[in-house]
Amino acid sequence: MSTDESGRDEPAQAVGQDGLIVACNDAAAEHGVIVGMLRRSAEAICPTVTTIVQDLGVEMARFEPVVQSIESLVPRVEVAEPGTMYIPVVGAVAYYGGEESLCDRMDKELDAFGGDHRIGIAAGPFASYQAVRQTTRSHPRYIVVDDEAFIANLDVASLGSDDLAATFRWLGITTLGAVAELPRDAVISRFGRVGLEAHRRARGFDRNTAPRGVPQDPTVVSHFDPPIEDFERAAFAARNLAQRLVRNLSPYGVAPHRVVVTAIAADGTERERTWRSADPFTERSLAERVRWQLRSWIEGVSAGIRGGLVTLRLEPTDLSGSGRQMALEEDAKGFEETQRAFMEVQAIAGQGNLLIASPQGGRDPGEQMSWTRWGEEESTPRRDPEAPWPGRIPSPTPALVPPEPVPFEVTWVEGVPDQVRLRSRWVPVLSWAGPWRRLGRWWDEEGPSDRYQIVTSAGAYLCEVRDGRTYLMGVYD
Amino acid sequence: MVATLEHLVDSSTPRQRDFEYAKDMLSLAPGQIAGLSGIPGSGLTRIGMSLLAPYAVRGPLVYLDVRGWASPMAAWEMGIEPERFVVVRSSDVVTWSRIVATLLDGVRGVYAEVPTGLRDQALHKLAAKARAKRTPLVLRPVTGKLPSGVAHLNLEAREVLWEGTEAGHGNLTNRRTLLVASGKATRGMVRTIEVEDDGTNDLRVVSHMGPRTARIVNGRVRAG
Repeated sequence: MSTDESGRDEPAQAVGQDGLIVACNDAAAEHGVIVGMLRRSAEAICPTVTTIVQDLGVEMARFEPVVQSIESLVPRVEVAEPGTMYIPVVGAVAYYGGEESLCDRMDKELDAFGGDHRIGIAAGPFASYQAVRQTTRSHPRYIVVDDEAFIANLDVASLGSDDLAATFRWLGITTLGAVAELPRDAVISRFGRVGLEAHRRARGFDRNTAPRGVPQDPTVVSHFDPPIEDFERAAFAARNLAQRLVRNLSPYGVAPHRVVVTAIAADGTERERTWRSADPFTERSLAERVRWQLRSWIEGVSAGIRGGLVTLRLEPTDLSGSGRQMALEEDAKGFEETQRAFMEVQAIAGQGNLLIASPQGGRDPGEQMSWTRWGEEESTPRRDPEAPWPGRIPSPTPALVPPEPVPFEVTWVEGVPDQVRLRSRWVPVLSWAGPWRRLGRWWDEEGPSDRYQIVTSAGAYLCEVRDGRTYLMGVYD
Repeated sequence: MVATLEHLVDSSTPRQRDFEYAKDMLSLAPGQIAGLSGIPGSGLTRIGMSLLAPYAVRGPLVYLDVRGWASPMAAWEMGIEPERFVVVRSSDVVTWSRIVATLLDGVRGVYAEVPTGLRDQALHKLAAKARAKRTPLVLRPVTGKLPSGVAHLNLEAREVLWEGTEAGHGNLTNRRTLLVASGKATRGMVRTIEVEDDGTNDLRVVSHMGPRTARIVNGRVRAG
């Protein structure tokens, strides 16, 4: 977060993939910005706020030393996401002489990194996560003494499903204690698998980790010769491996909740990190976490992977029967074939050339789509597609849109389009619509322009006239 | 013992039958290949999308974009879900065939722009693969036409009529495209059909035109 010349913080905030504020500094907080708020709302109450987009890869690289520091106190920690980790403390509590002593020891370790850290201790991962949610900056630790009572008093929102929480509230059920009292069969029949999971949590059971029969050794390994030294290639390999792991398990209807990522460097150094997720890992979510982890190892402060990466191993240590549910018309074989084909095409055409688009707001056709590389987390639209966008070009939309407007030869007679050059011949204009004025982004030194729909016997074109020159913006093909 | 005999008589007029036939013609069965030729602006991208749209419910469709101009909005307007529409950008003639062949192995439908300079043999091989894999394939040469024998249905845009604009007023609304169809789908005949497109996900074969057999006059195909 930036600081101006007077030494005072300028308002700054970080926004996540879902468009919600994930962090803000004190200056932004003074204006009323709070974590969890919509970006638009935050910018409305604090127009001078500087917004940066959250980069979880960078965050993980910054978090890795923190994890290593805690690992020096308590072994086998599990990372849930950059900034959050689960620590099995049964042995450590006995060793350090109680929860408070352990927390003091961890505080001492974490103080070296600065910032704000909070600790919650309870019997299981769900309760401990909720315990952390109860902490404040002035009371940064929460130790649950009576887990049953603690869980029973939690609000239904803690189940993590807004829809489910809203339905429970509508039924007059506001706490997990009340959910736990509901008959199990009735909850399953009304809410299905989501309800069952909620009921289990409300009754103090964490997820059942005994899955059905699975292959003897579901671990997947890739060896690299020559060793991989750059992050992009390592990330690509990580994605392939994550896909292999999830694909190997999917025929058994299971998916991992916990995965140990192991990287072996050319000099023989072995690094290992465990990742945990409350929901089963999908190909995409697992690939993303392996990528973050590799980035933190390769680009982090802890000296990288010396000599390059020679082996990458993913070991699922906690499987559950919550494998991927196919759509009605899909079949598992087709899904696997598609994934394989896309991976091969990506290898041939290049990673950045396999793209998926999603709608976003904008006035011109080129602005109305947001591109994401296949296999990566879909980016949140920068502009709201549901907003009215006055001045937007009416539908139908052009089927061909150049990445940037290209010069287009049009002859104008007294401000009226007369002829259009298509390849080597001039074609008369039959009719046209416009001009539609666009003021342009004056703050980016973009001048005004006029847009026209021009119709010829060969087709229709969307054009823009700017600074006396005509540009092609789209072809109605 | 009773035997029942049912005898159906086709009561439709020849004109109606022609119309129904033309509507069927604008569909693509698994493994069939359509070739689209005409300059950009003639509406062939949307026609190609409409041929593949029914397959999007079963898996992703891929647009192989040679020019780098593909806009997924046309596919969305044809009812294809954004997450079911993948764009591959590649202008390299050398790798183009490999990419299409790989896609035919794994996806439910492929719309491929064909780069200039590709050998006919490569197209024939890909057509055979599409048939073997039962994957519908739409080929749109960037310039010129497909070699004969590749496509089950060849559609060539002849004329486009737009409605809605008039001397600066209004905006584009309806498009009528006059297409010359040939290939196995037309039983070897050259036929003319007119397709109306109002920007929704439903292209209509215009009924009052009906399909007519084209005449070849002085070496050029004319609607008649």
